[in-house]
Amino acid sequence: MSNKKYWSSLEELNETPAYKEQAAKEFNYEVDTNEPEGEGTNRRDFLKAMGFSVSVAALATACKIPTHKAIPYTMDLRKQVPEVTPGVADYFASTFCDGTDFVSVLVKTREGRPIKIEGNSDAPLTLGGTNAKAQASVLSLYDVTRLATPTVKGKKASWSKTDAEITDKLAAIAAEGGKIALVTGSLSSVVTKKAIDAFVAKYPTTTVVSYDAISKYAVRKANQVSLGAAIIPTVHFDKAEVIVGFNADFLGTDVSSTENTKKYIANRVPTKANPKMSRHHQFQSTMTITGASADYRYPIKPSEEKQALINLLSKVGGSISGVAALSGKDANEGIDKVAAELLANKGKSVVVSGTNDVDVQLLVNAINGVLGNYGSVIDTANTYNLKTGNDESLATLANDLKNGAYKGIILLGANPVYNTPYGDIFKDAIKKATLSVSTADRPDESAQFCQYVAPDSHYLESWDIIQPKTGVYGFVQPAIVTLFETRQAAESLFNWAGNTTPIAQIVQNESAAITGAGYQSAVQAGFYGTPGAAGGASANVAASVAAVSSASTAPKGLEVLFYEKVGIGDGTFANNPFLQEMPNPVSKVTWDNYVCVPYSYAKTLGLSENDIQPADKNVPIAKVTMNGKSIELPLVVQFGQAANTIAIALGYGREKAGRAGDLVGKNAYPFLKAGNGATSYRTDGATLELTGKKYELGLNQTYHTLMEDNNLPMRPKRFRSAIVKETTLADFQKNDHSGNEDREHIKEHFSKSLYDGYKPNDYKQGHHWGMTVDLNACIGCGACVVSCNIENNVPVVGKRQVYRSQEMHWMRIDRYYNGNPDNPDVAFQPMMCQHCDNAPCENVCPVNATNHSSEGLNQMAYNRCIGTRYCANNCPYKVRRFNWLDYQGVDSFGKFNDGAMTFNDTEAQSYMFEDLTRMVLNPDVVTRSRGVIEKCSFCVQRIQEGKLTAKKEGRPLKDGDIKTACQTACPTNAIVFGDQNNKEGVVAQTFDQSGRNYFVLEEQHFLSSVGYQVKVRNKTEEPANYFIHKPGI
Amino acid sequence: MHSCKQIRGVLTLIVLVLSLAFSSRTFAAVAIPDVDPADAAMVDKAKKGMELYKANCTACHAVDRKVVGPALAGTWDRWENEAKLVAWVQNSSKLIASGDPYANKIFNEYNKSVMQSFPQLTAEQIIDMFIYIKAKDAGVALPFEAPAPGAAAAGAPAAATNEGDATWYIWALVGFLVVLAGLLWGVTSKLDKAVKESEGQVVEEVSIDKKIFNKKTLKVLLLIGSILLVFNIFNGAIDLGRSQGYAPDQPIKFSHALHVGQNQIECQYCHSGVEKSKHAGIPGTQICMNCHKYVQQGPKYGKDEIAKIYDYAGWNPDKQQFERAPKNIEWVKIHNLPDHVYFNHAQHVKVGGIDCQTCHGKVGEYEVMKQFAPLSMGWCINCHRQTEVKFADNNYYSVFQKYHDELKKGTKGKVTVEDIGGTECQKCHY
Repeated sequence: MSNKKYWSSLEELNETPAYKEQAAKEFNYEVDTNEPEGEGTNRRDFLKAMGFSVSVAALATACKIPTHKAIPYTMDLRKQVPEVTPGVADYFASTFCDGTDFVSVLVKTREGRPIKIEGNSDAPLTLGGTNAKAQASVLSLYDVTRLATPTVKGKKASWSKTDAEITDKLAAIAAEGGKIALVTGSLSSVVTKKAIDAFVAKYPTTTVVSYDAISKYAVRKANQVSLGAAIIPTVHFDKAEVIVGFNADFLGTDVSSTENTKKYIANRVPTKANPKMSRHHQFQSTMTITGASADYRYPIKPSEEKQALINLLSKVGGSISGVAALSGKDANEGIDKVAAELLANKGKSVVVSGTNDVDVQLLVNAINGVLGNYGSVIDTANTYNLKTGNDESLATLANDLKNGAYKGIILLGANPVYNTPYGDIFKDAIKKATLSVSTADRPDESAQFCQYVAPDSHYLESWDIIQPKTGVYGFVQPAIVTLFETRQAAESLFNWAGNTTPIAQIVQNESAAITGAGYQSAVQAGFYGTPGAAGGASANVAASVAAVSSASTAPKGLEVLFYEKVGIGDGTFANNPFLQEMPNPVSKVTWDNYVCVPYSYAKTLGLSENDIQPADKNVPIAKVTMNGKSIELPLVVQFGQAANTIAIALGYGREKAGRAGDLVGKNAYPFLKAGNGATSYRTDGATLELTGKKYELGLNQTYHTLMEDNNLPMRPKRFRSAIVKETTLADFQKNDHSGNEDREHIKEHFSKSLYDGYKPNDYKQGHHWGMTVDLNACIGCGACVVSCNIENNVPVVGKRQVYRSQEMHWMRIDRYYNGNPDNPDVAFQPMMCQHCDNAPCENVCPVNATNHSSEGLNQMAYNRCIGTRYCANNCPYKVRRFNWLDYQGVDSFGKFNDGAMTFNDTEAQSYMFEDLTRMVLNPDVVTRSRGVIEKCSFCVQRIQEGKLTAKKEGRPLKDGDIKTACQTACPTNAIVFGDQNNKEGVVAQTFDQSGRNYFVLEEQHFLSSVGYQVKVRNKTEEPANYFIHKPGI
Repeated sequence: MHSCKQIRGVLTLIVLVLSLAFSSRTFAAVAIPDVDPADAAMVDKAKKGMELYKANCTACHAVDRKVVGPALAGTWDRWENEAKLVAWVQNSSKLIASGDPYANKIFNEYNKSVMQSFPQLTAEQIIDMFIYIKAKDAGVALPFEAPAPGAAAAGAPAAATNEGDATWYIWALVGFLVVLAGLLWGVTSKLDKAVKESEGQVVEEVSIDKKIFNKKTLKVLLLIGSILLVFNIFNGAIDLGRSQGYAPDQPIKFSHALHVGQNQIECQYCHSGVEKSKHAGIPGTQICMNCHKYVQQGPKYGKDEIAKIYDYAGWNPDKQQFERAPKNIEWVKIHNLPDHVYFNHAQHVKVGGIDCQTCHGKVGEYEVMKQFAPLSMGWCINCHRQTEVKFADNNYYSVFQKYHDELKKGTKGKVTVEDIGGTECQKCHY
């Protein structure tokens, strides 16, 4: 039996008095109910006012029925228009690609509006998986900050005028032989590449510079040496028995992470029939979701990575000089252990690094070459066309711009003023250029200085062909006509190059070379082609080793790592409030970036435990000085952060992103510098000092605590089963109930009843909905959270409300630590309404607004709720959310459209008040008003829809007919929904047969409908128990 | 002259046979088989035909009378052969162009308005439709058809009148009791007086008006009055926002009485989403124009209202073509459910088999469309309590094994919507 203590925060670990007091409360935020005497409204006045207003309202409404219009779907019979049945969703296959990740998606449209993104399970790479960014992307379509027309010097203009002026200036520049810089991001689009070719053909003085804000150029550069080609190879994580990551976030932010996740998880979930899984070691400086999923994790400093790889290469049999011990004892032992395992799994293992450092990547190639991992696990025959940026040409461009070498600057979706280390150079150059054009969809940091902005369309309004990888194409088709007068960037380029063919036609023409006659079916499917068989050349070990520079990496002082967060990424989608409010999976902080400091370092700063992670979420502000520049950020203790290092996320501090993204966090891009041939995402010699100021942090893990232990003073000591159960693979192979032994006791306990004749609803017929959540499969990526938000019209509440612990998320991913605060184990646990069949919330509701259905659903009738919040107080899983404010803008409906109200006029600074953003709302789910409780409904609208489809077809419901929003979003199939009464179904089979299945708080007999699967770590030994929790049974 | 007679007989026979053969060749009709309700294969064909007929034809045709196009009864006699009939339905213009005399005759008879083409229909499907139409014309009782459309509808209003009747009985009873109370009061007071007089007391004579209009009665009346007032306010408050009988003016004076009642156009022809979607759907001008390209004048408003359709649709009736993009007709919404109610037409019509008239009343009699049902939660719940689920016909309900067993055993008479959870909150509120 697992007797480990899991903790979500330091107070919980140390059981501070403040934590205990706070954990006992449902709502973190105190409502001051004591009005001062003589001021404000007293009860009598309130009643008088209420009585009056009720009667006035009654009279007013009684006299006049508001008139609603019913507007039919009118078709223009002169055109071929698709048949739309109002009320029935249509799905269009498309492709989401941000240059880093590639996701094949299905766009759900209702009455012509895209309202949801689902994974395309037929697609070859992502197999139906999605990520948080793809899920949230549908809201970006309805972003009010988007430009509605082209602009000329900041003023609205027509396309004809804009095009005419741009082509005139281009012609003038070309005539005098002036140079034009075309700056773009990753070039994954076949069509954009053609457009650029056409443009360069017309204006031969053009220099094309492709760069990535967060670059992987070092991988390509190292592979140029090791393999003779500047490629990024495919890594088949499913074929690897041993995976060793060095600061690689391949599950979160690296190239094609959704595809990687699918592959990775294929060999990470042991079953009774097949009790095996790969082993994952991770050496890293800060904690990421990839590190959290690892079996063994070793904190190393960013500067030590090269040394660690040199040591590892030497250990696995490579010839290299310069072996030296690392600073951490764990890391040194780790290298020995990893080397032994790698040698035992030659050809079945992989070492990956996410660091943009050519030396590091060369060493990684050498190690994989020595181990013979090429051709099997590392596939150099199928290479990525993502992250195509070139750091060196960006640096050269910046240098040339400084010298005024370019007359024309065209920014093709790039925002170099914000997301490069050369922001000021670009700003000056754009201001001085004869012609400056941006195709940004908003007047962003760079576009604001451009003479012309030719706004790009959103990908849901566009035609495109994306080639993420050798042999695989993703087709993009519009799911809606352009909302504004926008035009695809590629079309603009073609236009300026003199080709005015409509983009739809261009895409079709381009497709001919790829699909032949299969264009229609490729568009319909959303993809074309499948990746070829794994293979390709192996790395030249000797050449790789020889190319490693001998420069010493001896670091100075405090080291800083700049990293990317799963939600916000490089900051392109900063104005998407869903992504801002999605808690970072590891730190659980929303709406901010911050300085991650290790626990040990925080102690040396002289901070008390309560200062470090205070229950009131007021964290200290630290001033970090790097290379003479400084930045003030809130300080967050990140457990597992390597000693004497700090980490700061990129992608924040936007100034011209829009209402949601502006001035959220601080911009760390200016601190980056060119490294050894590639942009370096680390620096050293930093100083950190406390400013003495405090910061209100939108943190959301320290409350909504499931009380695992008997740490509450008023509770009698009694048996508590663990909330998160885990075991090791070795134990699991011996006994599939391992880690879950106490469940037998619980089951036996409840098999006896005092009330013999009493039988609650036994769900003997009909449906009995249930869900399984596999803790082994969950990597904490947060795609489900965003998917749930969009599906269920869950409002975004903003940083201030999250700080007050009033975020509205129906599902959260609880992150638990276990063990040493300097290097803990991590477990993620998706937590949503458990639909208890013996629900404590139901019997405290005074108005029966929450009650149980015959299908086992814990129902919530919003229009019946009077807001006593007794249910939330009584919910042991703390999954009920109260609408403290009018987050949906029900009271201010319509007032935002004509400017009668603005964002700041309401306390609930919601991001969904305009008609435009409301277009994303799911019409099958009601929006909730102020003063009612809401919670996860198991996507009841999908249940009803699935049942209705079966009824209409006159057939029984099949397992898998109904999938909840969290389930469809999940890239690892960690969440499965189904009917417990369908004995053939996954849920029933797991509940009845899996030894790993358990229910959270099962000993309390809530009869929850959500089963969790015990987390299995592939460890040979139990970690030292940092904190012992003895079940007193 | 025996032989002569014989010859004459033989000749007559020959003439008869010849004439029969000749007539059958010249006046041959399309052979549409009759439907025997016991013949499952034939009934199936008729059923398929009905579905196609209702989906495609009823906008312009009826079985027994002329609507936009001719009555369909007897079509089989009017056409020369099956091939021509099929060719006409699939593409009438082609047949007319081929110079077929009968095709041209009808074309001219109907002011040269072109019948819509149905190239998607196969010859077999077209014959199936005529099998159904012929059976209808002959009055064959087809087993798949409801006994009579509107039978259920007739039930609902009848129930309403019964309820009305019941309240009258109550009022009569109350009146009777009031009179009785008055009489008894008179009797007791007289007896009281007599008793008191017999005891020698002097009883002051109180006039009848003083007896009635004293403080006590005033108090009682006040009490009754305030109870009634509160009761009324309460009921009124419950009814707030409800709008039974709501019949607003519409941008076009569309008459359901004409289209549904007189022309017998199926509801689904225009409200085509009713079996597929949560919304029955309001037809766009593209549906109107299916018929109104040809029907340019109505019986009541002449050309005025139809001209409005042309305006919305962007149709030029003179040039017989669409000239610009259509505009939306902004109908005034009559059936307004609150936002927190989820209602799905497909569930009720396709799965539940509820007639449109059950909730929308006798639409065929409405000159102006109105809200027939109260659309209150009580009304919904009541129906869910009483309505039987179509358990036997739909395999989906096989999950309710217990009920199936009970039905078989006879311990349960019927399974209502409520029995399978139809009155639970999250069936309609989510």
